[in-house]
Amino acid sequence: MEALILPYLLFIDVLLYSVFFVYAFRKKKLIGIQLGMNISQVMGGTAALLSGIVLVLEFPFHFTLITVVSTITGILTGALFGLLFDYQTFLAGLTNGMIAGLMAPMIGSALDMPGQVVWLVHGIFFSCLVLIMIFIQRS
Amino acid sequence: MTLLLLVSSWNMAGLYSVYRAIKKKQLIFDEHFTAALCMVVTMTSSFFMGLFLKMVFPGWTLFAVLSGVFISWKFSSLLRSPAKMNGLYNGGMGGMMGTMLGAVVQNPALCKITAESAAEIEMLPLFVACLYAITLLLVRYSLRA
Repeated sequence: MEALILPYLLFIDVLLYSVFFVYAFRKKKLIGIQLGMNISQVMGGTAALLSGIVLVLEFPFHFTLITVVSTITGILTGALFGLLFDYQTFLAGLTNGMIAGLMAPMIGSALDMPGQVVWLVHGIFFSCLVLIMIFIQRS
Repeated sequence: MTLLLLVSSWNMAGLYSVYRAIKKKQLIFDEHFTAALCMVVTMTSSFFMGLFLKMVFPGWTLFAVLSGVFISWKFSSLLRSPAKMNGLYNGGMGGMMGTMLGAVVQNPALCKITAESAAEIEMLPLFVACLYAITLLLVRYSLRA
Protein backbone atom coordinates (compact mmCIF):
# COMPACT_ATOMS: atom_id res chain seq x y z
CA MET A 1 0.00 0.00 0.00
CA GLU A 2 1.56 3.26 -1.07
CA ALA A 3 1.69 5.78 1.74
CA LEU A 4 0.57 8.41 -0.76
CA ILE A 5 -2.98 7.12 -1.10
CA LEU A 6 -3.85 6.76 2.61
CA PRO A 7 -4.36 10.47 3.48
CA TYR A 8 -6.62 10.91 0.44
CA LEU A 9 -8.67 7.88 1.49
CA LEU A 10 -9.04 9.29 5.00
CA PHE A 11 -10.13 12.65 3.57
CA ILE A 12 -12.71 10.98 1.32
CA ASP A 13 -14.07 9.02 4.30
CA VAL A 14 -14.46 12.14 6.43
CA LEU A 15 -16.21 13.87 3.52
CA LEU A 16 -18.59 10.92 3.01
CA TYR A 17 -19.41 10.79 6.71
CA SER A 18 -20.28 14.49 6.85
CA VAL A 19 -22.39 14.30 3.69
CA PHE A 20 -24.24 11.27 5.01
CA PHE A 21 -24.79 12.95 8.38
CA VAL A 22 -26.45 15.93 6.69
CA TYR A 23 -28.56 13.52 4.57
CA ALA A 24 -29.69 11.56 7.64
CA PHE A 25 -30.40 14.78 9.52
CA ARG A 26 -32.76 15.91 6.76
CA LYS A 27 -34.55 12.56 6.54
CA LYS A 28 -34.73 12.19 10.34
CA LYS A 29 -38.52 12.15 10.43
CA LEU A 30 -38.75 9.25 7.93
CA ILE A 31 -36.42 6.86 9.76
CA GLY A 32 -37.97 4.45 12.23
CA ILE A 33 -36.50 3.33 15.51
CA GLN A 34 -35.20 -0.03 14.25
CA LEU A 35 -33.42 1.44 11.23
CA GLY A 36 -32.02 4.23 13.37
CA MET A 37 -30.43 1.76 15.75
CA ASN A 38 -28.81 -0.12 12.88
CA ILE A 39 -27.60 3.12 11.27
CA SER A 40 -25.89 4.30 14.46
CA GLN A 41 -24.23 0.91 15.06
CA VAL A 42 -22.96 0.52 11.50
CA MET A 43 -21.70 4.09 11.28
CA GLY A 44 -19.87 3.97 14.63
CA GLY A 45 -18.31 0.58 13.92
CA THR A 46 -17.09 1.39 10.42
CA ALA A 47 -15.74 4.80 11.47
CA ALA A 48 -13.68 3.20 14.23
CA LEU A 49 -12.51 0.37 11.93
CA LEU A 50 -11.46 2.69 9.10
CA SER A 51 -9.68 5.21 11.34
CA GLY A 52 -7.89 2.49 13.31
CA ILE A 53 -6.59 0.50 10.33
CA VAL A 54 -5.64 3.48 8.16
CA LEU A 55 -3.95 5.44 10.96
CA VAL A 56 -1.94 2.44 12.16
CA LEU A 57 -0.70 1.80 8.62
CA GLU A 58 0.21 5.49 8.29
CA PHE A 59 2.01 5.86 11.68
CA PRO A 60 3.17 2.39 12.85
CA PHE A 61 5.14 3.69 15.87
CA HIS A 62 2.32 5.20 17.96
CA PHE A 63 0.08 2.26 18.79
CA THR A 64 -1.41 3.49 22.08
CA LEU A 65 -2.13 7.01 20.88
CA ILE A 66 -3.82 5.66 17.75
CA THR A 67 -5.96 3.29 19.83
CA VAL A 68 -7.15 6.26 21.91
CA VAL A 69 -7.81 8.36 18.79
CA SER A 70 -9.74 5.64 16.94
CA THR A 71 -11.80 4.82 20.05
CA ILE A 72 -12.76 8.48 20.46
CA THR A 73 -13.58 8.67 16.73
CA GLY A 74 -15.88 5.65 16.99
CA ILE A 75 -17.56 6.97 20.13
CA LEU A 76 -18.16 10.41 18.64
CA THR A 77 -19.51 9.08 15.33
CA GLY A 78 -21.80 6.52 16.94
CA ALA A 79 -23.05 9.06 19.48
CA LEU A 80 -23.68 11.74 16.84
CA PHE A 81 -25.65 9.38 14.60
CA GLY A 82 -27.46 7.99 17.61
CA LEU A 83 -28.44 11.41 18.96
CA LEU A 84 -30.50 11.97 15.80
CA PHE A 85 -33.04 9.43 17.02
CA ASP A 86 -33.21 8.31 20.64
CA TYR A 87 -31.34 7.83 23.92
CA GLN A 88 -31.12 4.05 23.40
CA THR A 89 -29.72 4.46 19.88
CA PHE A 90 -27.17 6.87 21.35
CA LEU A 91 -26.03 4.26 23.90
CA ALA A 92 -25.89 1.46 21.32
CA GLY A 93 -23.85 3.48 18.82
CA LEU A 94 -21.49 4.69 21.54
CA THR A 95 -20.62 1.24 22.87
CA ASN A 96 -20.35 -0.34 19.43
CA GLY A 97 -17.93 2.37 18.30
CA MET A 98 -15.95 1.94 21.51
CA ILE A 99 -15.49 -1.84 21.13
CA ALA A 100 -14.64 -1.62 17.42
CA GLY A 101 -12.22 1.24 18.03
CA LEU A 102 -10.36 -0.70 20.71
CA MET A 103 -9.98 -3.67 18.36
CA ALA A 104 -9.18 -1.96 15.04
CA PRO A 105 -5.50 -0.92 15.54
CA MET A 106 -4.70 -4.49 16.59
CA ILE A 107 -6.01 -5.77 13.26
CA GLY A 108 -4.13 -3.04 11.42
CA SER A 109 -0.76 -3.79 13.00
CA ALA A 110 -1.07 -7.57 12.66
CA LEU A 111 -1.82 -7.42 8.92
CA ASP A 112 0.22 -9.36 6.40
CA MET A 113 -0.95 -7.73 3.16
CA PRO A 114 -2.29 -4.30 4.14
CA GLY A 115 -3.34 -3.16 0.67
CA GLN A 116 -6.06 -5.71 0.09
CA VAL A 117 -7.51 -5.36 3.59
CA VAL A 118 -7.73 -1.57 3.30
CA TRP A 119 -9.70 -1.91 0.07
CA LEU A 120 -11.86 -4.66 1.62
CA VAL A 121 -12.80 -2.46 4.59
CA HIS A 122 -13.55 0.47 2.28
CA GLY A 123 -15.69 -1.83 0.13
CA ILE A 124 -17.65 -2.90 3.19
CA PHE A 125 -18.13 0.74 4.18
CA PHE A 126 -19.35 1.83 0.72
CA SER A 127 -21.74 -1.12 0.41
CA CYS A 128 -23.16 -0.37 3.90
CA LEU A 129 -23.64 3.25 2.86
CA VAL A 130 -25.45 2.26 -0.37
CA LEU A 131 -27.67 -0.24 1.49
CA ILE A 132 -28.60 2.33 4.15
CA MET A 133 -29.44 4.88 1.42
CA ILE A 134 -31.72 2.32 -0.29
CA PHE A 135 -33.50 1.50 2.99
CA ILE A 136 -33.98 5.18 3.84
CA GLN A 137 -35.51 5.75 0.40
CA ARG A 138 -37.86 2.81 0.90
CA SER A 139 -39.08 3.79 4.35
CA MET B 1 -1.51 -2.57 38.96
CA THR B 2 -2.78 -1.15 42.27
CA LEU B 3 -4.53 1.64 40.39
CA LEU B 4 -6.10 -0.93 38.07
CA LEU B 5 -7.38 -2.94 41.04
CA LEU B 6 -8.89 0.20 42.60
CA VAL B 7 -10.59 1.31 39.38
CA SER B 8 -11.93 -2.16 38.67
CA SER B 9 -13.38 -2.58 42.17
CA TRP B 10 -15.12 0.79 41.66
CA ASN B 11 -16.46 -0.51 38.33
CA MET B 12 -17.65 -3.76 39.91
CA ALA B 13 -19.63 -1.75 42.46
CA GLY B 14 -21.14 0.27 39.61
CA LEU B 15 -22.06 -2.91 37.74
CA TYR B 16 -23.74 -4.32 40.85
CA SER B 17 -25.79 -1.15 41.32
CA VAL B 18 -26.93 -1.33 37.67
CA TYR B 19 -27.92 -4.99 38.25
CA ARG B 20 -29.95 -4.01 41.35
CA ALA B 21 -31.68 -1.18 39.49
CA ILE B 22 -32.63 -3.44 36.55
CA LYS B 23 -33.89 -6.13 38.92
CA LYS B 24 -36.07 -3.62 40.73
CA LYS B 25 -37.60 -2.07 37.62
CA GLN B 26 -37.65 -4.98 35.18
CA LEU B 27 -41.41 -5.02 34.65
CA ILE B 28 -41.75 -1.50 33.29
CA PHE B 29 -39.39 -1.77 30.30
CA ASP B 30 -40.61 -1.99 26.72
CA GLU B 31 -39.16 -4.22 24.00
CA HIS B 32 -36.83 -1.75 22.33
CA PHE B 33 -35.35 -0.49 25.57
CA THR B 34 -34.78 -4.05 26.78
CA ALA B 35 -32.84 -5.07 23.67
CA ALA B 36 -30.68 -1.92 23.68
CA LEU B 37 -29.94 -2.13 27.39
CA CYS B 38 -29.04 -5.81 27.24
CA MET B 39 -26.66 -5.27 24.32
CA VAL B 40 -24.92 -2.26 25.85
CA VAL B 41 -24.43 -3.60 29.37
CA THR B 42 -23.38 -7.15 28.49
CA MET B 43 -20.97 -6.13 25.71
CA THR B 44 -19.03 -3.53 27.69
CA SER B 45 -18.99 -5.35 31.01
CA SER B 46 -17.84 -8.68 29.58
CA PHE B 47 -15.14 -6.85 27.60
CA PHE B 48 -13.89 -5.16 30.75
CA MET B 49 -14.07 -8.34 32.84
CA GLY B 50 -12.14 -10.33 30.21
CA LEU B 51 -9.43 -7.68 30.03
CA PHE B 52 -9.13 -7.29 33.80
CA LEU B 53 -9.06 -11.02 34.59
CA LYS B 54 -6.51 -11.65 31.84
CA MET B 55 -4.31 -8.91 33.35
CA VAL B 56 -4.57 -10.26 36.92
CA PHE B 57 -4.48 -14.04 36.21
CA PRO B 58 -2.42 -14.39 32.99
CA GLY B 59 -2.66 -18.16 32.73
CA TRP B 60 -6.42 -18.54 33.07
CA THR B 61 -7.69 -17.57 29.62
CA LEU B 62 -10.75 -19.79 29.63
CA PHE B 63 -11.76 -18.42 33.03
CA ALA B 64 -11.66 -14.86 31.64
CA VAL B 65 -13.87 -15.77 28.67
CA LEU B 66 -16.32 -17.75 30.79
CA SER B 67 -16.68 -14.92 33.31
CA GLY B 68 -17.89 -12.69 30.45
CA VAL B 69 -20.43 -15.34 29.47
CA PHE B 70 -21.49 -15.66 33.14
CA ILE B 71 -22.09 -11.90 33.50
CA SER B 72 -24.12 -11.79 30.30
CA TRP B 73 -26.12 -14.81 31.44
CA LYS B 74 -26.92 -13.19 34.80
CA PHE B 75 -28.02 -9.97 33.13
CA SER B 76 -30.00 -11.50 30.31
CA SER B 77 -31.82 -13.94 32.60
CA LEU B 78 -33.52 -10.87 34.11
CA LEU B 79 -34.99 -9.92 30.74
CA ARG B 80 -37.25 -11.54 28.17
CA SER B 81 -36.30 -14.39 25.83
CA PRO B 82 -35.23 -12.60 22.57
CA ALA B 83 -33.01 -10.31 24.64
CA LYS B 84 -31.52 -13.40 26.29
CA MET B 85 -30.09 -14.63 22.99
CA ASN B 86 -28.78 -11.17 22.11
CA GLY B 87 -27.13 -10.84 25.50
CA LEU B 88 -25.46 -14.25 25.42
CA TYR B 89 -24.04 -13.60 21.94
CA ASN B 90 -22.73 -10.17 22.84
CA GLY B 91 -21.31 -11.38 26.13
CA GLY B 92 -19.32 -14.21 24.56
CA MET B 93 -18.02 -11.90 21.85
CA GLY B 94 -17.03 -9.19 24.32
CA GLY B 95 -15.31 -11.67 26.63
CA MET B 96 -13.21 -13.06 23.79
CA MET B 97 -12.21 -9.62 22.52
CA GLY B 98 -11.28 -8.39 26.00
CA THR B 99 -9.11 -11.45 26.56
CA MET B 100 -7.42 -10.77 23.22
CA LEU B 101 -6.65 -7.17 24.20
CA GLY B 102 -5.26 -8.40 27.54
CA ALA B 103 -2.97 -10.86 25.77
CA VAL B 104 -1.66 -8.09 23.49
CA VAL B 105 -1.04 -5.77 26.46
CA GLN B 106 1.00 -8.46 28.21
CA ASN B 107 3.01 -9.46 25.14
CA PRO B 108 3.14 -6.62 22.56
CA ALA B 109 5.21 -8.69 20.14
CA LEU B 110 2.02 -10.61 19.23
CA CYS B 111 0.88 -7.69 17.08
CA LYS B 112 4.37 -6.64 15.89
CA ILE B 113 4.20 -3.54 18.07
CA THR B 114 7.57 -1.80 18.21
CA ALA B 115 9.56 -1.33 21.42
CA GLU B 116 8.96 2.44 21.59
CA SER B 117 5.21 2.14 21.83
CA ALA B 118 5.38 -1.04 23.90
CA ALA B 119 6.37 1.02 26.94
CA GLU B 120 3.21 3.09 27.02
CA ILE B 121 0.77 0.28 26.21
CA GLU B 122 0.35 -0.28 29.97
CA MET B 123 -1.94 2.77 29.99
CA LEU B 124 -4.51 1.05 27.79
CA PRO B 125 -6.40 -0.89 30.54
CA LEU B 126 -6.83 2.32 32.55
CA PHE B 127 -8.27 4.03 29.47
CA VAL B 128 -10.71 1.14 28.99
CA ALA B 129 -11.68 1.34 32.68
CA CYS B 130 -12.42 5.07 32.37
CA LEU B 131 -14.57 4.47 29.26
CA TYR B 132 -16.42 1.68 31.07
CA ALA B 133 -17.12 3.93 34.06
CA ILE B 134 -18.55 6.61 31.72
CA THR B 135 -20.75 4.00 30.01
CA LEU B 136 -22.05 2.78 33.37
CA LEU B 137 -22.87 6.38 34.35
CA LEU B 138 -24.85 6.84 31.13
CA VAL B 139 -26.72 3.56 31.69
CA ARG B 140 -27.59 4.53 35.27
CA TYR B 141 -28.81 7.92 34.02
CA SER B 142 -31.09 6.21 31.49
CA LEU B 143 -32.46 3.86 34.18
CA ARG B 144 -33.39 6.74 36.48
CA ALA B 145 -35.16 8.61 33.69
